[in-house]
Amino acid sequence: MDPASSQRTEEIVLLLTQHQESLFRYIFNLVTCEADARDILQETSLALCRKFDQYDSTRPFLPWAYRFAYLQVQKHREKSSRAPLMFSEDIIDMLALDMERMAPELDQRLQFLEGCLGKLNPKDKELVTNRYAMRQSAEEMMQRLSVSRRTLFRNLELLRVRLHDCVSQQLQSEGLV
Amino acid sequence: MNLELLIHAKLEGEITPEQHAELEDLLRGDCNARRLYLELADQHAHLLQRPTSNTSRLKPSSIVNRTVWWRNSTLIASAAAMILMAYVIWPQKHVDKEATSIGAAMLSQTLDAEFSQGTLHSGDTIAPGTITLNKGVAQIEFFSGATALIEGAAQIQIISAWEARCMSGRVRVHVPPAAKGFLMHAPDVKLEDLGTEFALNVNGKNSEVHVFDGEVIAHSKDKAPSSLKAGMSLSSTKGAVSPRDFLPIGEIQGLIRQREQTRFEAWKTWSMEARKDPRLIAYYPFNHLGDDKWDRMVNTVAEPAMNSRNGGAVGARWAQGRWPGKAALEFKRPGDRVRMNLDGTYAAVTFACWVKVDSVDKKYNSLLLTDGYESGEPHWQIYEDGSLMFSIGYTGPGEKRITAKTNQMYFSKPVFSADSLGRWHHIAVTYDNVSGTVLQYFDGKEVGREVSSLHQPGRPIVFGSCEFGNWGVSTQGHPFPIRTLNGAIDEFAIYQSALSAADIQTMFEQGKP
Repeated sequence: MDPASSQRTEEIVLLLTQHQESLFRYIFNLVTCEADARDILQETSLALCRKFDQYDSTRPFLPWAYRFAYLQVQKHREKSSRAPLMFSEDIIDMLALDMERMAPELDQRLQFLEGCLGKLNPKDKELVTNRYAMRQSAEEMMQRLSVSRRTLFRNLELLRVRLHDCVSQQLQSEGLV
Repeated sequence: MNLELLIHAKLEGEITPEQHAELEDLLRGDCNARRLYLELADQHAHLLQRPTSNTSRLKPSSIVNRTVWWRNSTLIASAAAMILMAYVIWPQKHVDKEATSIGAAMLSQTLDAEFSQGTLHSGDTIAPGTITLNKGVAQIEFFSGATALIEGAAQIQIISAWEARCMSGRVRVHVPPAAKGFLMHAPDVKLEDLGTEFALNVNGKNSEVHVFDGEVIAHSKDKAPSSLKAGMSLSSTKGAVSPRDFLPIGEIQGLIRQREQTRFEAWKTWSMEARKDPRLIAYYPFNHLGDDKWDRMVNTVAEPAMNSRNGGAVGARWAQGRWPGKAALEFKRPGDRVRMNLDGTYAAVTFACWVKVDSVDKKYNSLLLTDGYESGEPHWQIYEDGSLMFSIGYTGPGEKRITAKTNQMYFSKPVFSADSLGRWHHIAVTYDNVSGTVLQYFDGKEVGREVSSLHQPGRPIVFGSCEFGNWGVSTQGHPFPIRTLNGAIDEFAIYQSALSAADIQTMFEQGKP
């Protein structure tokens, strides 16, 4: 590799690392399935890599990258078009538009989310650890917490609602809503 | 089904095709529905990506294993793509976010304290909010450096590391130079501390202040700020106040020491009796023996004496145990351990131990393990998720070693988390080879009960060479995995019987710090 291209490589690797979380969130919000989102993120990263010479580094990276992510989501949708549990095209378009508009607010919410996670009761904290950090399957969690499937999902639902409410409240008290 | 429920079902992949269509209709027609969806989905996506905070291994972020990726391998030719792969296959969830806390103070000491908020323990971090102390005494150390001693019944609002409000009760505050400017609010008065010690009594709408040392500026409504110097008092009522009306500090600290001493003595008395229990295989109270020139003896005191079961410390250093004057051994470095040799064959066992875990930072964190892992040898460890893990295995006919098919593993619920680290806890496990039931306890309460599907009644339990706090001695050229406990042990009892829940509860009650 010549020095110039190796510098370009460093640049893209850095950008991808830096924005990976945002890209993952963008894709996930459109497909709502973690495994699919990870696949699409990989395809997107590759596409960004291949087309990186077209990137104008004076402009923000994310809006440019979102376009690729959006295309990869569409591609994935066509491939699995028989899967009934994917959003239809018009919904994906609406969500993608809403998301770009809401980006600052969504980012702000995540800032508050950390504080809200700290305020959870020990039971909810355990649930966060099991479900998100350890990626335990529903079966594993049902066994370890000795609860029924129904109760487990109800508890997860309540956990997410509590977090969401807490974040909304914080936003309100900060006068951001 | 309402919108919120549909969104949650969608997030968990539990949605039916009919419900999915219903959700799409709602999203299509209403931008507020899409907003709610995006807020919840984004939160979910963030949690899936969130780096794990605090104690390295407690909440490891595992990666979803996908093999699909290799489909594309023909595309990957350049070194650039190889570097990139490292990032996409093993996403290093964000690189630079640190764990954060909103704590403003910590609860440093308590004496017979009872809080309305339920369980608050010494060492707990306190976030801004109101604390109601129904009875007893609590000492709060603000992160600014100010310290407040509070006597129940009292109600204190922690505003920040620099500011608090006393709604009712008696408080005594010490402010070192570094915390100069600390503010204490009381009804009708705001006290700005210029590096000093003062006390405050609040009763209904009346407040009384007395300055013991240094200077306090009192800001009252409708009055110019007044300076209170050492020995001066201020009262919102007409009555005279005397320094004796305020919370005395030396006395309280004396009481705290005295309480520790009483608990220590009570444990000693219990321990003298407990060592006569005929069910004991060995009982190590971790007494630091003054006459041990090598400083490495960890003796069993079970009666009658069984000197062959005495332990020897390797590396581990003596530290303070549950009380001042009570010793413990601290395990920190990869080599730290206590070696023992326990002879005999048993039909049941109980392990009970007082442990302070500082961090769960390895996949397996040793409590008691036999060297190797031969047929019938028990292992007791803390698993990376903070749960207690007991295991025992039996090799089948013709097999040389225990495999996944013969290894019986039992996990408790996770018990070590940020809230329980750095404090003394009682943990215990019981196992009998007839019923095969493994019961695990944390602070006297059951946290796990299980029988392995691999259990076959009547197989013997053996130990041989074993150790606390670590696992294994490397043989020439064969390295051993590092499983050192990161913490300290100050009592360990091993019984040849499955003790009852009541027995375990008693041990916890008698030994709690």
